[in-house]
Amino acid sequence: MNKPLFFLASLALMFAAAAPVVAHHSFAAEFDASKPANLKGTVTKVEWQNPHAWFYMDVTDDSGKVSNWGVEMGSPNGLMRAGWNKNSLKIGDVIIVEGSRAKDGSNHANARFVTLASTGKKLFADSSQGQ
Amino acid sequence: MKNRIAFAFLLIANSMPALAQWQKYATPGVPRDAQGRVQMDARTPRTAAGKPDLSGNWVRGDRDPLPQELAGVVARGAGDSGAVVVEPRAAPFPPDPNAPPLATFFDLGANIPGGLPYTPWAADLKKARMATNNKDNPDANCLPMGITQFHMQPQPRKIVQTANLILILYEANYGIRYIYTDGRKLPPQGDPLAWWYGYSVGHWEGDTLVVETNNLRGAETSANDGWLDVRGSPYSEQAHFTERFRRPTFGKLEIDVKVEDPKSYTKPFTVRINQRFVDEEPIEFVCNENQQFRQRIKVD
Repeated sequence: MNKPLFFLASLALMFAAAAPVVAHHSFAAEFDASKPANLKGTVTKVEWQNPHAWFYMDVTDDSGKVSNWGVEMGSPNGLMRAGWNKNSLKIGDVIIVEGSRAKDGSNHANARFVTLASTGKKLFADSSQGQ
Repeated sequence: MKNRIAFAFLLIANSMPALAQWQKYATPGVPRDAQGRVQMDARTPRTAAGKPDLSGNWVRGDRDPLPQELAGVVARGAGDSGAVVVEPRAAPFPPDPNAPPLATFFDLGANIPGGLPYTPWAADLKKARMATNNKDNPDANCLPMGITQFHMQPQPRKIVQTANLILILYEANYGIRYIYTDGRKLPPQGDPLAWWYGYSVGHWEGDTLVVETNNLRGAETSANDGWLDVRGSPYSEQAHFTERFRRPTFGKLEIDVKVEDPKSYTKPFTVRINQRFVDEEPIEFVCNENQQFRQRIKVD
């Protein structure tokens, strides 16, 4: 096996060893799969709490207006099993979120992926619905 | 040199998640190969009295396909660009020709020809639950689930078996089931009270643990009660569950669950739920710490 392949396989194995994700709530009652949330901003707060970890971020729109968004991830246990810990996202980190918006129109979203803007490293969000 | 850099990178990459994970501890008494991997096909452990010992940490043995409404919305695994695999990839257990239909987490009766035999009352209730996007699913509301939903929830569970009492400790909702194996009888249905977990007594028939449960709160009790699965197949206060547990090898637990509930189902039915031994412990999960779901539910 060539080196890059070996590295990728090793990475895959490393995560394959992790444990299940949490299917916690009823996605469609809270989020709208047809309304994607693509956000870029700065982390302002992290709530490493059950049943889902949340973080908050300041997002600046084209007109310069700043709004604060809440973004839901999986359970702390699921995130920990996927290799995260409560220091994986820090206040001040610039991140890019791909997810789904809340149905009630508020500034909340469920994260599918979170990418660190500084490194381009894609962090798995352990979206709560993966079951 | 290039190799050494690659190796160092690999080492670092591999050590990072380990640091973030729950402490790994090799449980004594678990059969392992030279690499420390659990020997799943090893013999069934037994108690001093000669009964199979069901104790251990377990995860569900079979996964549902991702439901259509969630496809592309959630990251789930290697097939999803950029995502990583989080639920362990394990080869499915070989099909058991003598097993009842395999249960699935979202829809308990998905593998029963014709589906579950709902009464009109149950069919209407399930329809109403689905019409509100299953917002009352007890799992979503940090409340105890029905027996079948608990058995299939992706979070792990620990079984602790003693001579007179068997405990099932679910990570999900930090649930606890007490199964009395001290010879007591089931209380009469409806007496004295109904509980989320009902009242469970077990006895051994050869190598099979037979657990009967009644006195359950049912769908009449509250909107969050009486859910067999995520899609809201109901059970009523009349429900009687019979679970037959077998541990044919070290790494496999088979649970055949029979549901008798004449108010919800026109006839009794039985499904198989497999569990796989997992070399990992459940973790504290205090669900209601920061529950935001109920604040934002929106029904169309």
